[in-house]
Amino acid sequence: MRAWVLGEFEGSEALLAATRLLRAEGLRALDTHTPYPVRGLEEALGLPRSGVSTVAFVGGVVGVLTAYLTMVYFNVVEYPLNLANKPPHSPPVFIPVTFEIMVLFSSLAIVTSLVVYFWAFPRLHHPLFEHDAFRSASSHGWWLSVNSEMPDMVMRARERLDALGAKNVTVIHEFTAAPGGHA
Amino acid sequence: MSAASKENALITGAQTDTSLNQSLLGFVWSKPTRGYKQTLLLLSGGVGALLLSLFLLLWQGVGVWGNNHPVGWGFDIINFVWWIGIGHAGTLISAILLLFQQKWRTSINRAAEAMTLFAVVCALMYPTFHTGRPWFDWWMLPYPSTLGVGPQFKSPLLWDVFAIATYGTVSLLFWYVGLIPDLAALRDGSKSKAARLAYGVFALGWRGSGRHWSHWKLGYLLLAGLSTPLVLSVHTIVSFDFAVSHIPGWHSAIFPPYFVAGAVFSGFAMVVSLMIPARKFMKLEHVITLTHLENMNKVILLTGLIVSYGYAMEHFTAWYSGSEYEWTTFFETRTKGPYAPLYWAMWFCNLIVPQVFWVKKWRRSLPVMFTVAILVNIGMWLERFVIIVISLHRDFLPSSWAMYYPTPADLAMFLGSIAFFLTAFMLFCKFLPAVAVAEVKEQNHAEHVKGPA
Repeated sequence: MRAWVLGEFEGSEALLAATRLLRAEGLRALDTHTPYPVRGLEEALGLPRSGVSTVAFVGGVVGVLTAYLTMVYFNVVEYPLNLANKPPHSPPVFIPVTFEIMVLFSSLAIVTSLVVYFWAFPRLHHPLFEHDAFRSASSHGWWLSVNSEMPDMVMRARERLDALGAKNVTVIHEFTAAPGGHA
Repeated sequence: MSAASKENALITGAQTDTSLNQSLLGFVWSKPTRGYKQTLLLLSGGVGALLLSLFLLLWQGVGVWGNNHPVGWGFDIINFVWWIGIGHAGTLISAILLLFQQKWRTSINRAAEAMTLFAVVCALMYPTFHTGRPWFDWWMLPYPSTLGVGPQFKSPLLWDVFAIATYGTVSLLFWYVGLIPDLAALRDGSKSKAARLAYGVFALGWRGSGRHWSHWKLGYLLLAGLSTPLVLSVHTIVSFDFAVSHIPGWHSAIFPPYFVAGAVFSGFAMVVSLMIPARKFMKLEHVITLTHLENMNKVILLTGLIVSYGYAMEHFTAWYSGSEYEWTTFFETRTKGPYAPLYWAMWFCNLIVPQVFWVKKWRRSLPVMFTVAILVNIGMWLERFVIIVISLHRDFLPSSWAMYYPTPADLAMFLGSIAFFLTAFMLFCKFLPAVAVAEVKEQNHAEHVKGPA
């Protein structure tokens, strides 16, 4: 059964130090929960560079091709109109719309991929929310979570968080709603 | 900390994450005051006027407006350009100032972005209804029509459709991505179950995960990077509506940069005029300081000078071109024609008035900057009147000259759109965090904790 070990730290420095230490000790499924991004968290967690930029680039390229080819289809292939004797295919006048659609597609790709893929949202409920004190993670709390399926790893994480001086240390199991009682 | 740097602090008082959370979200959690409700009630009258004018328009047709030959574009296009210009400040503040790492953007970006969205909605109303039969507006989109015809992509008016639609969508996405962490803060801090549920749904389940923040930071930066050329392109394309035609007063190569500067000018003026009351009533003086307002006033001064340079250059080109039509438009019709008072009022509002901001004391005085901001808003509206109506009402053939007067339907729609804008802004302040809470906390943190250990 999957379980999360949660602990709250006094401030960003304590959280960063604890994250680095636990990671060095071999705990891999670590995550931090903070009200705002703190410099150094990525390297403390050992995160690779986010893949959003690749998605943005692909979205932009798709946008450029979609816009340009659509305009060529409508104004050159399907219904060529002679306007002021301009050639049906006039690249300069196609630039503004191509640019706009590139920005549109790229932005939509960024936000859709963030929500659906990188964040795996919407996920309105998460086991971490079972812990009432965890509310502070969005306003002023500095939380560290360790996620594991192995009971001995959960035990170790709990001991280490206690030893590092974390407050509100709790273990949350994925199925906390045992028969007859809701955690 | 020296006295000078204290005066220029962007977050005043000793603030902690908890105190900022409380003070920035406090207005959302507080009960609406009597004055707030009365103002909303008053504004709803204006929104009613807007709906009434739209109903009249759909019932009778665009004939209820004052547009007629030769002035085919009247209040509708003036107000469209005015609103879309106002809408530029939000993205400029949030995107361009983010890329330039201007710390003072942090406290004002959220409200300015919201203002952008509402201004874009106001702007969109005008061309939408100007078509006369808005239920056919989808004809502007390229869809596989059985008629075998498609949109004419060589027309700047169609470029506008894509520019404004993109701008509105991207501004909304940028705003929402920035809002998600703050919605989570509202979800976790609100008392009532309904509020927690509503904010929880829109927060999507945000839990402040370090992995999520890492994607958020890059995604937000990329959106800012995309919005920066976008914001410059939108008013450029709006200016093409005029510059690509051949009417004297419109056919000018300086239009794109001069329109963009004008958009920033009017947008900042609108932000200043809204922020002065908002920061007082929402008790945000500790994060929206006089320094923030002073910085915006400096931008108003700068862009005002660019806009005035644009006016001067238009006149120079008219003289230098040697075209008698150009000369007549700029040196006869504008300066001495029937609408000349509006033309001179435009110069007064946009060139003379902002010059008070050379004086530091006036740059930091609330009554002075409020007056200037309102006058600049008026001046920029007059600029669009001058460009559109004065150029159209007397063009090449004297036999087709005619005057333009707005009708009550025009006025109701204009005042109604202002009421709608203010209503939307007030509701936004009540239901959503008007200041980017997470970003202000981050900045506060960065100022007190020097670098990671």
